[in-house]
Amino acid sequence: MSKDKLFGLVDLDWRFELTKFRPVRALFKSRWFPLLPILFNLFIFVIILLAGFLGGYSAGNYNFGIMIVWILWWVMLMFVLVPVLSRAWCLMCPFPIFGEWAQRGALFGVNMGKLGGLNLKWPKALKNMWIMNVFFLVTTFFSGFFTVRPLATFILLGLIILIAFIMGLIFEKRSFCLYVCPVSGFQGLYSQFATTEIRSKDPQVCKEHKLKTCYLGNEKGYGCPWLLAPFSFRKNTYCGMCLECFKSCPYDNMAFNLRPPGADLLVDDKRGLDEAWKSFIMLGIAMVFFLSMQGPWGVLKDMVRASTLRGYLTFITFHTVLCLLVIPGIFFVFSYLSKVFSGNKEVSLKKLFINFSYTLIPIGLGAWIAFSFGIVLPNGSYILHILSDPFSWGWNLFGTKNVPWTPVFTHSLGYLQGITLLVFYLFSLAYGFRLSKQTFPGLQEAKRGWIPIFTFLTLTTLLFLWLYIG
Amino acid sequence: MKRNEFIAVTLMILVTIGTIAAVFSYESYRRRSAEYFFVELIARSPNNGNWYPKELKVPYGKKIKLHIRNIETVSHGFALPDFDTEPSSSEIKAGEVVEVTFVADKRGSFPFMCTAWCSEEHMQMNGKLLVE
Repeated sequence: MSKDKLFGLVDLDWRFELTKFRPVRALFKSRWFPLLPILFNLFIFVIILLAGFLGGYSAGNYNFGIMIVWILWWVMLMFVLVPVLSRAWCLMCPFPIFGEWAQRGALFGVNMGKLGGLNLKWPKALKNMWIMNVFFLVTTFFSGFFTVRPLATFILLGLIILIAFIMGLIFEKRSFCLYVCPVSGFQGLYSQFATTEIRSKDPQVCKEHKLKTCYLGNEKGYGCPWLLAPFSFRKNTYCGMCLECFKSCPYDNMAFNLRPPGADLLVDDKRGLDEAWKSFIMLGIAMVFFLSMQGPWGVLKDMVRASTLRGYLTFITFHTVLCLLVIPGIFFVFSYLSKVFSGNKEVSLKKLFINFSYTLIPIGLGAWIAFSFGIVLPNGSYILHILSDPFSWGWNLFGTKNVPWTPVFTHSLGYLQGITLLVFYLFSLAYGFRLSKQTFPGLQEAKRGWIPIFTFLTLTTLLFLWLYIG
Repeated sequence: MKRNEFIAVTLMILVTIGTIAAVFSYESYRRRSAEYFFVELIARSPNNGNWYPKELKVPYGKKIKLHIRNIETVSHGFALPDFDTEPSSSEIKAGEVVEVTFVADKRGSFPFMCTAWCSEEHMQMNGKLLVE
């Protein structure tokens, strides 16, 4: 055990294996899991698509598609799925099921033969987060439509499912999920903060097991569909939690662990500018979404909803420049100051910039959780209505059709948002200084180099506090 | 394994095609078996197209269920003063769907209108109900 304790409380190397409980391991090894959750979500998404299509251009507050996707799913993703369960959504996501079915020729069983489709390799130059960064940013250009117009949500989800299917026919395994899916990128980034992980139990067992069945597959499970080497997992970012490695490992050497939040932030593996920009983009989108959806500025809402073409183009330009240039630019200045303050001439500015960008993961996640409070507390009650009448046809399936719109705890919204921001700010500070020590060889350099980044994190948190509760 | 594969594929078909078929079958059955004559009405401000359809035709002597969908982000209202509707007048909030029932026990042409100040052109938001 290391002596490095998070907030002086939890050893950063602490792990508690949940799969040591036999029912959990049996569940993870069953081929029905995660197939059944995927099929359940497919059922929900069929209703979502149907409601989106039938809802057309109506206002979306009484639409099943809008409410389930942008209120329930999004909030679940930010509150529980990502910060606690890492990429658990990918585990049960129904989007790639058609492409994967076409590749494998089987839904349940393991096809040991060659996978179907063209099985082309994804271009090496694109094996990173850049496409996901751009795809997600571009998707947010239409936030003023798909969060209020059911047909826009139908088109967005339909496109994602179609692209996932076509890519499944052309490229190998889960190339879509790894390199294109707009939801995948930020889950990967923020799953580094998650309190759970999938890792091998004993590296020695993996080392001695010459036939890497977790990578190649066997009759019990497919080789990693996410094209990873599960025996050497070091961080959550690219593991889609499909659980195939639990099935294919003959030694039961894969484990699902509880761990301190944010443990991956210190893992120096595959760090790059693509992930750095992902964190800038997520921070920028959180700001713009708050301004346009929860802020008091009607003029911004009109711009995002494209009331005028000029206003809409101004929004897109401002949004893009903020996410891709302004935030990274300001962060670059603070990174440069960090280098100057540290007095170290050996560590490259690029390394410093990339390493410190991981300090933005906790406050970014905190900003999104705080934003999600602002979605679910005022609007959550609509969900009871739409569960009973999903297509606005006057159904009353569960007797909740006439539940009126009832905001809940909105008087405490500011406090909840403020506390959330502060808690995650503390995590950013806790990991930030450790990242500084990891980046600079000497302790004094690390302390001095940390000052500008500490200032940046503090100013960013103050900005969000001002936005949310100021 | 083959049995499980069959079950998995069956479940897949059920949750996709089966769900869509079940939804439309249930709605079709509900409308056929109901004692009401269903009419769909979309509420829009006059500058966005006004009521759609602006002229409703219903059969004389039947119980009518009006299914009014407000597709806009402002509240509308509905009143049909010549009939004893249930509810007698309704606020239809943004995005909401309300149901109004009445018996078409008079022949002729009758006005219906919006009862919420929805836009500058609110006073023009009216339509006609033809009972034949």
